[in-house]
Amino acid sequence: MIFQQILMQIFHKLNQERTISAPFHLLRGKRSGQTIQDVGIYQLHHFFGILPKLSRKKYDEEISLLIEKQFIRTDEAGSYELMNNHIEDIGNLPFDGWHYRGNEHVFFARLSLIIQSLSHKKAGQMSFIPIQKDEVIQQWVKNFLLINNFQEGTIHEQLMAEMIHSLENTHIEEKVKSIIINRLAGYEVAGFTWQQLSFIEKVSEMDIQLLYIAGLHSWLNSITSQAEQYPLLNNVAQNVRINIPLTGSAFQSTQLFLQGYSIEQISKIRGLKISTIEDHIVELAMNEPHFSIEQFISGRDVQLVLNAIEDYNTKKLKVLHEVLPHLTYFQLRLVLARGDL
Amino acid sequence: MQLEALLEKYFGYTSFRPGQKEVIEQILMGNDVLALLPTGMGKSLCYQLPGYIFNKPVLIISPLLSLMQDQVDQLKQFKEKRVVALNSFLNAHQKRNVVQALHHYRFIFISPEMLMQQQVLQKLNTMELSLIVVDEAHCISQWGFDFRPDYLRIGEVVGNDNRPPILALSATATDKVVGDIKDYLKMKEPFEYIHSVDRPNIHLTKFMFYDREDKIDWILRHTTETEGPGIIYTQSRTKTEMISEKMLQAGLSAAAYHGGKDTLDRQFIQQQFINGSLEWIVATNAFGMGVHKQNVRQVIHESIPSNMANYMQEIGRAGRDGKDAVAILLYAEGDEDFARFIGIDELPNEVHIEIYDNYKVRNEPPSNMINNGEISETGFRVLNYWMNQLSTNEVKNVLQNMKNEKLQEVNEVMRIVKTSQCMRKMLVQYFGQNLEKNPDNCCSACGISLQEIINPRQQVELGHDEMSWQKRIEKLLIGNL
Ligand SMILES: Nc1ncnc2c1ncn2[C@@H]1O[C@H](COP(=O)(O)OP(=O)(O)OP(=O)(O)O)[C@@H](O)[C@H]1O
Ligand SMILES: [Zn+2]
Repeated sequence: MIFQQILMQIFHKLNQERTISAPFHLLRGKRSGQTIQDVGIYQLHHFFGILPKLSRKKYDEEISLLIEKQFIRTDEAGSYELMNNHIEDIGNLPFDGWHYRGNEHVFFARLSLIIQSLSHKKAGQMSFIPIQKDEVIQQWVKNFLLINNFQEGTIHEQLMAEMIHSLENTHIEEKVKSIIINRLAGYEVAGFTWQQLSFIEKVSEMDIQLLYIAGLHSWLNSITSQAEQYPLLNNVAQNVRINIPLTGSAFQSTQLFLQGYSIEQISKIRGLKISTIEDHIVELAMNEPHFSIEQFISGRDVQLVLNAIEDYNTKKLKVLHEVLPHLTYFQLRLVLARGDL
Repeated sequence: MQLEALLEKYFGYTSFRPGQKEVIEQILMGNDVLALLPTGMGKSLCYQLPGYIFNKPVLIISPLLSLMQDQVDQLKQFKEKRVVALNSFLNAHQKRNVVQALHHYRFIFISPEMLMQQQVLQKLNTMELSLIVVDEAHCISQWGFDFRPDYLRIGEVVGNDNRPPILALSATATDKVVGDIKDYLKMKEPFEYIHSVDRPNIHLTKFMFYDREDKIDWILRHTTETEGPGIIYTQSRTKTEMISEKMLQAGLSAAAYHGGKDTLDRQFIQQQFINGSLEWIVATNAFGMGVHKQNVRQVIHESIPSNMANYMQEIGRAGRDGKDAVAILLYAEGDEDFARFIGIDELPNEVHIEIYDNYKVRNEPPSNMINNGEISETGFRVLNYWMNQLSTNEVKNVLQNMKNEKLQEVNEVMRIVKTSQCMRKMLVQYFGQNLEKNPDNCCSACGISLQEIINPRQQVELGHDEMSWQKRIEKLLIGNL
């Protein structure tokens, strides 16, 4: 159910202006210009990339259910229409996909191997089969344990205190905290499978996983915003949060732009089309709240665009361009990228 | 030192299991050995102990990455540090390092593919090995679908005159396969240790149903009335979910297990099963390898397996502690169709041959078929081998024969289902052995009373432990609550 509610929230935000597939790409965190820009235009940051492994099959199944229950209707062209039926709203789960994009799993993998190691250490069991098979994770955890002198045995209490304190100060339901902690295992303590958690909480496995992901995002935000309070956990969360979420190429273009090169110059230097550089600037506008779009469009024109959006109840570029032909698509997209309209 | 003393010193076991000592003694005398030991009998020890007696590396050729990992983990648990796995998981840099230091290891696990690589071969040629182990040696036989073409070349690669002894290991093999193993590995008058495939403490039974649904009802009733721990094997992932769901609703402790579960889930299930907090596992045949649980009391087949070797291996997970256990085979009209479907599912067919040829014509490597989702990896391995040996038409014949063989294997299983004779005798004879003695409660045909073998279920309330998340963190990090 949570999954369907999320889909409906996305469909509402997309305002019937995208195809039935748009939420799929959004949830998987597709790095195409279109999806990234939609994130800004429709304010979908928190859902971006929360299910990087979502299969098309699973997605289509859920869409069929929404159609069956008459929440949406689709046509052959792939567009959709919202029906009058309203799905019970779950409110906002605290996703922060934009800043994590699946990296929350790296955090958890590190944490779970650390916990497993410390738990065995405490029990005097120095050999065990590591629960995380990824060599990179294993190596990372080895270093972490060495740097923190785990042999001395003081790290146990500190980590426990940090975990309990930070979770207590994270605003998520208690059951979500339990779900996260139940996925950890240690000496003579087995973890709970998704099937078991789903049985205990009486929601589907998919929904349990969504609660878990939202919970991790929220927890990570508490940890990283109070870094000095939680030195160990903050270390575990190292490089997990993406603070300026730009893709490689966009990152390079914007770097040049911030050094004072013009769009045309960057296009020459990088051998890329002008329109591509413009895409990158739009991405920057979307991701960097301090970036001023007024260098490209006057305050008066911004107001005109906002009025048009209001009057015609649309964020479709094509319509806006017809209404305001004196503005370029690039200018329109910058206004839309600002989002907080 | 006595072998027993060494066993105790390095592994902490007080006595050998049947066959282990015989095999090890022969190896120490420098003889080749072919050992067929049923699963769980402790095959690995046959080369692990010699590893500590010789002062030169043992090379173990092993076909499956997961199996290799399992064995490496097992040795590491005995605090062995000088153990390494050379397989495709390593990146080029890691591989180079490992190969350079290869002579420092005590146990070297290697995949057949790696063994054929120049860089590796060169290094091996400069080294003195104490023993070459060929694990799952039946993979050398072209007559099985487990066939690994690279296994054929092991003989060429390691076959020089002053080579160390070869130990070929397998769980079960028919006479034909045993012949292949000895030929291709060029074994020199090997000592053969062939353990009886019969497991007298596993009692065999079967039940017939008109309707498939009735089997599920039976399982629910049976598992609420009798005690585990147990494994229920079924053919599809959806069915594992469905049956375990129903068992959970009936208040039983059960979990679904299949290849689609995430890795943490799979480990949690194994851990819970081994520590006893999980009573029933409902699994596809993906479950079992590397799970060493001694006290499994019941193995139930919700659907019939696709061949006898699988059946043997799956029921063999019961009663490893030597105490009574039961294997229950459920059959409903038409189940064999599904078993046939599963049996030939991964087998390449004429369409694959055509696609393969098209790739060749286009000058594209046929191995791309795997990535393009046109064939499974196992399927490709077999197809590719034969396409390199024979003409297209001949390959068609070979594949047709393999298919017939697969279908024939289902018929063999069906004979056990349909027979009114002793199931045990039929099973043992299938593997070319004779049954010496029927145990009490032998099988459905000889007469069996389940009550004498398995216990009635104690009514226990199954609340999951209501530990707060704070307490759980404490238990994990500080322990003893
Ligand atoms: N002599 C012994 N005494 C007690 N335990 C033993 C002995 N030999 C082996 N074992 C244990 O028996 C278990 C099974 O051993 P092993 O993994 O070698 O089985 P296997 O025959 O290879 O079966 P599988 O096919 O399931 O891997 C292991 O846990 C091993 O430690
Ligand atoms: Zn019998």
